[in-house]
Amino acid sequence: MAEIRFHPGGLAIESRGVRVTLGDTQVLRGVDLHVPRGKIVALIGPNGSGKTTLLRCLLGLQKPDAGEIRLFGEHIGPEVLKRVGYVPQRLPLDRSFILSVREFLALRLPGTAGWFWQSHRRTDALLRDTLEGLDLDGILGRPLSGLSGGQLQRVLIASSLLTKPELLLLDEPTAGVDRPGEQSFYELITEVHRRHKLTVVLVSHDLSMVYRHASRVYALNGVICCEGTPEEVMSADSLKQAYGIHVTPYHHDHGPGHHHVH
Amino acid sequence: MFTEAYMQRAMVTALLLGPLCGLIGVFVTARRMAFFSDTISHAALAGIAVGFWLGFADPTLPMVAVSLGVAALMLWLKEKTDLLTDTIMALLLSGSVAFGIVVISLLKGFRGELHRYLFGDILSVGPQEVWLAFAVSAVVAAAVAVRLNALTLLTASEDLAHVSGIPVRRLNYAFVLVLTVVVALSIRLLGIILVTSLLVIPPAAARNIARNLRQQIVLAVLAGALGGGGGVALSYRFDLPCGPSIVLTSVALFLATLAASRLRQASGRALRSAP
Repeated sequence: MAEIRFHPGGLAIESRGVRVTLGDTQVLRGVDLHVPRGKIVALIGPNGSGKTTLLRCLLGLQKPDAGEIRLFGEHIGPEVLKRVGYVPQRLPLDRSFILSVREFLALRLPGTAGWFWQSHRRTDALLRDTLEGLDLDGILGRPLSGLSGGQLQRVLIASSLLTKPELLLLDEPTAGVDRPGEQSFYELITEVHRRHKLTVVLVSHDLSMVYRHASRVYALNGVICCEGTPEEVMSADSLKQAYGIHVTPYHHDHGPGHHHVH
Repeated sequence: MFTEAYMQRAMVTALLLGPLCGLIGVFVTARRMAFFSDTISHAALAGIAVGFWLGFADPTLPMVAVSLGVAALMLWLKEKTDLLTDTIMALLLSGSVAFGIVVISLLKGFRGELHRYLFGDILSVGPQEVWLAFAVSAVVAAAVAVRLNALTLLTASEDLAHVSGIPVRRLNYAFVLVLTVVVALSIRLLGIILVTSLLVIPPAAARNIARNLRQQIVLAVLAGALGGGGGVALSYRFDLPCGPSIVLTSVALFLATLAASRLRQASGRALRSAP
């Protein structure tokens, strides 16, 4: 029998007993999370389940009151965050800030603000490899604040890929994207996952996406109340635990695999 | 027209501080910090009063010191209390102005001076102000050039900036420090009441016709130079208060770029709808 060893760097995400209290509410009540490397996984939970708070903890934006989080076996800090890409749901952009897509992407290129001094052609050449397959060529000159939800999402994914991350965290990636857009988003993520060989964590309240696209699902409701393959987690009992209400998976005109919470 | 030394000093200072305010203003406006800078400039009145009180011949130092103190207090209150940012700023703005006016009233003899600081005065630009403006412009322009990526990402999203390894807190404090020094220096020309306009109007004029951030930065710097230089010339030629002259020149620039952008849009539509 092969010897089973614990690799400190073997897990992409590892948390123990993470607790966070915001105001009077204990949002996270001891989260134990173990996310293996190299997979597409989903962190699901209803509104108020602490998804966003947990995500903020993983990104070092929120300090847990208790417990410990490690990414690739390291404590969260500037060093390990270099290996993490973050795709927020949206940007708090003011319309008066006329940052173009090209300029926004170029902010992540190494060196000192080349985009300001060099020609567009030179900047585009530096971006080309990462942008391949993301279908952004036509909108590089457009202002960031004028993009559709789907376009902005592709830009944010491209931006996070520019630093060559090993872990990609996406916050509610299908919010504000229509059904056809959702489909192409998942094709894109699958392609990005394959091409860049990274761990992808989708944080969402949308159960339907989990079913088809994640290889492992973590259901959060203050704690990780169930985890497993999508089929295991989607069984009514464990979902009921996660959402605290009755759930009937059923099929209708969205096509197979769309489960709705009632 | 530029034979008098005081006039040359005022013009050089305006041509340094106008572009500098345009550059910083692009980020001030995008980060919705116009009211913040207004609070800092009004806090300078308290600094000027303290300077008179302590017998400073030149109130620049107490002005910068008190403005920095109020800026720090503003950030501290924002972090430590649940008060709205607007509330904090209004409180500190009116508090500083009231304190400054009361002190100056008690001191007597300085009331005539007050007007110069409220509305700006080209006569008040001494040789040391020119050198100070030159030094600050050079340092700030270099700092912005070096940290342009970080500053831009911070403006787009603080969370993204943090995850990208940018020291968000430190950069925010540095930005407030720069803003305070630039505002305090510009008060000589523009006056306490109008100084924020040079941070807001040139970037707004640039925004009217720019298609990306690079264009906005370049055009805002140009608009700052035109507004500052043109305003000083106007002030000298017609014996007008300096601050309002700079502001009106800048507003005229803003209206011109607004008209240009409307015309461009209209002609674009006409071209598209043509058979």
